Amino acid sequence: MSTKSGRKIVWGHLILLTVIVCVVTAYLLDARGVSLRTNNLLLVQPAAILALVLAALVLPGIFPRADSTEEAEINSETRADLIRVFILIAALAGLAFSLEVVGFDIATFIFMVVGLAVCGEKRWWVNLLFSAIFTVFLIYGYGTITPFPFPLTFL
Amino acid sequence: MIELNSVFGAFALLSSDINAWLYLLPGLAIGLIFGAMPGISITMAMAFALPATLYMEFLPAIVFLTAIYTGAGFGGSVPAVLMGIPGTSSAVATTFDGYPMARKGLHNEALGIALASSVVGCLASYVILFILIVPISGVVLKLGPLEMFAVAVWGMLLLGSLAGTHMSRGLLAGTFGVLLGTVGMNTAGFVRGTIGIPWLLDGVPQIPAMMGLLAASQLIGLINTTYLIDDEGSRKISFAKILGGVRQTFSHPTIIFRGSLIGVIIGAIPGVGSSISNLLSYSETKRNAADGDTFGQGNPKGVIAAEAANSSSEGGAMATMLALGIPGGGATAILLAAFAMHNIVGGPSFIAHNKDIVYAVIFSNFAQAILLFVVGLGFVYVAGYVVRVPLRFLIPSVLVVSTYGAYAIEGSSAGPITLWVFSVLGWAMVRYGYPVAAAVVGLLLGSLLEGNLLRTNQISGGDFIGYGLDRPWALVIFALMLGSILLQLISKRRRAKEEALSAVQSS
Repeated sequence: MSTKSGRKIVWGHLILLTVIVCVVTAYLLDARGVSLRTNNLLLVQPAAILALVLAALVLPGIFPRADSTEEAEINSETRADLIRVFILIAALAGLAFSLEVVGFDIATFIFMVVGLAVCGEKRWWVNLLFSAIFTVFLIYGYGTITPFPFPLTFL
Repeated sequence: MIELNSVFGAFALLSSDINAWLYLLPGLAIGLIFGAMPGISITMAMAFALPATLYMEFLPAIVFLTAIYTGAGFGGSVPAVLMGIPGTSSAVATTFDGYPMARKGLHNEALGIALASSVVGCLASYVILFILIVPISGVVLKLGPLEMFAVAVWGMLLLGSLAGTHMSRGLLAGTFGVLLGTVGMNTAGFVRGTIGIPWLLDGVPQIPAMMGLLAASQLIGLINTTYLIDDEGSRKISFAKILGGVRQTFSHPTIIFRGSLIGVIIGAIPGVGSSISNLLSYSETKRNAADGDTFGQGNPKGVIAAEAANSSSEGGAMATMLALGIPGGGATAILLAAFAMHNIVGGPSFIAHNKDIVYAVIFSNFAQAILLFVVGLGFVYVAGYVVRVPLRFLIPSVLVVSTYGAYAIEGSSAGPITLWVFSVLGWAMVRYGYPVAAAVVGLLLGSLLEGNLLRTNQISGGDFIGYGLDRPWALVIFALMLGSILLQLISKRRRAKEEALSAVQSS
C-alpha cells in the first residue's frame, strides 16, 4: 500500500516490530510488577529501554519509498508462495501441539503428508509411502536413543 | 611443568592395555553420529554410553567417553554446515559461514575445513593441556563473576559485527535475544516473564529456540526452492574438494592458533565453555580479517575460527575437570560420574597422585584427534549427500527430526512448542532483514550476563569500579578486549589509507 508522499507500508515488518515492542513492553512491566529492587531490574530494565529506543530507530524502515529496492525481493514472492509458507507453519504448529495428545506416530505421519504435499511432492503414493516409512524409522530409531519415551497410539 | 616419570608411566599404561585403544573407534563413531543429530547433545551421547563403561577398566572407560566427546564435538558441525542447524550450541558460529558456503556449492570445502580445524584445534588444546595443566587450573580458581561477566561482554561485541546492513535491526535483534535469555527465575530468585507457564521458570529452552531461529526459519524460507544448491553441477560430492578444504585450513595458522587459545581458556572456565568460545573466536577473527566484510556470506575463515575454538574447548574443560574436579559443563560432569563409578574422586589429589593416568588420557586424545581426521573424512563424505536430496523431502524430514530433538532435550512438548515459536519469529526476522544470529547470541549470553552482573553487584555492594580494580584477571580480560578493538580500528584506518593511496596511484 502506498501513502500520498510516495511511501509504502511493509505490513509484515510492521506486525513483526509491533510483536517485538509488545513483548518487550509486557516483559518490562511484568518485571517491574514483580519487584523494583536492583537485583531484579539491573539488566532487564536498561536492556528493555534500549530495545524500545532501537525499535523507534527501526520504525522508518517500515515506510520505505515506493521506488525502494529493499523490499523488491519480498514483492517478487507470489501470494501462492506465501500461502504455502503459512500452511507449513500451521502444520508445524499442529505437530508441536499434538505430539503428546494424539501420539508421536499419528502427529508425525500427518505432518509428513501435509509437509511433502506443501513442499511440492505431487505423487500421492510416494508421499504416503515415504511418510509412513519415515515415521516408523524415526520413532524406532530416534526413540531408542532419547532418554524420554515417546507417547504413541499405533506403533 | 611436565613430569617425565609420569609421562613414561603413561606410555607404559597405554602400551600394556589394548582395551584402551579398542574403544577409540566405536567411541568416535557414536559421537559423530549422535552429534550430527539435531537436539542430541554431547552430554546426551555420553550419558547414553555411560552405563556401558561400568564393566570396563578405568582407563578404557575414560578413553571411550572422551572419544565420544571428541566425535560429538565435530559431529555437531556437519548439520551446521549442510543445513544451518547447529547440532550443538558450540556449533552456532559454524553456521554463520559454513551454511552460506554450502548454499554456494562449496559444501565439500566447508566440511573439509570444519574437519581439519576441529582436528588441529583438538590437538592444539591437548598440547596446551599437556604443558599447562597445572598453571591453567591455578588461574581458573581465581576467576569470579566479574571475570565471567567480562567474558560475556566480550561475546556481546559479536552483536556489532553480526548486525549486517541495518545496524539498528541487528542491535534490536541482539537486545531482544538478551531479554528473552533472562526470562524466568534469575539468580536472585525473582520470576519474570513466564506468563504463568511453569517450564519457563528455568528460562526459554535455549537449544530448541536456537534450532528454531537458525534452522527451522531457514527451512521454511526454502519452501519455494528445489535443492539446497541451485546449480546441479555443484551438488557433486568430491573427496578431492574435501581434501582441498583441509589444505585451505592450513593456510590460516594464525586463525587456528587464536581459535585454539580462546577455546582452551574459555573452555576451562566452568559454566562458559564451548558455546561461548566459538562465538568469541569468530568475532575476533572477523574483526582482524582484511576481508571481514564478507563474513557471514561464506568466508572459510569464519568456519576455521569457529571450529578451532569449539574443538579446543574440550581440552580446556578437561583441564578444569582433571585438575580441580569441577565439571565445566554436562560432558565433564558425565566424565566425573564415570570417575565415581570406578571409585575415583577427581580433583587436586587425583592429579597429584595419578599424573600417569592424566597424561595417558591426554595422549589417548592425541590419537583420538588423528583418528577423528580419518573417520571424519568418511563421515563427511557420506553426510555430504544431503545436498542431493530434493528439498520437498528434506524440509519436512528435518523439521520433524528437529522437533523430536527439541522434545528429547526438554522431555515434554515445551521443546517442540519453543521450536515452533522461534521458527516463526526467525522466519519473520530473516524476511525483514534482522540477523537471527544476533538474537541467538543474545539468547545464549542473556542469563550468563545477568547472573554474573548480579553476583558482581552483590559482592561489590554496587561499587563496580572499586571492586574491578581489585580483580587483576578481570582487568586483563577487559584490557584484551579493548586492545582487540583498538587494533581493529588501527588496521582498518591503515587499510583505508592504503586503498586511497593505491586509488590515487592507479589514476
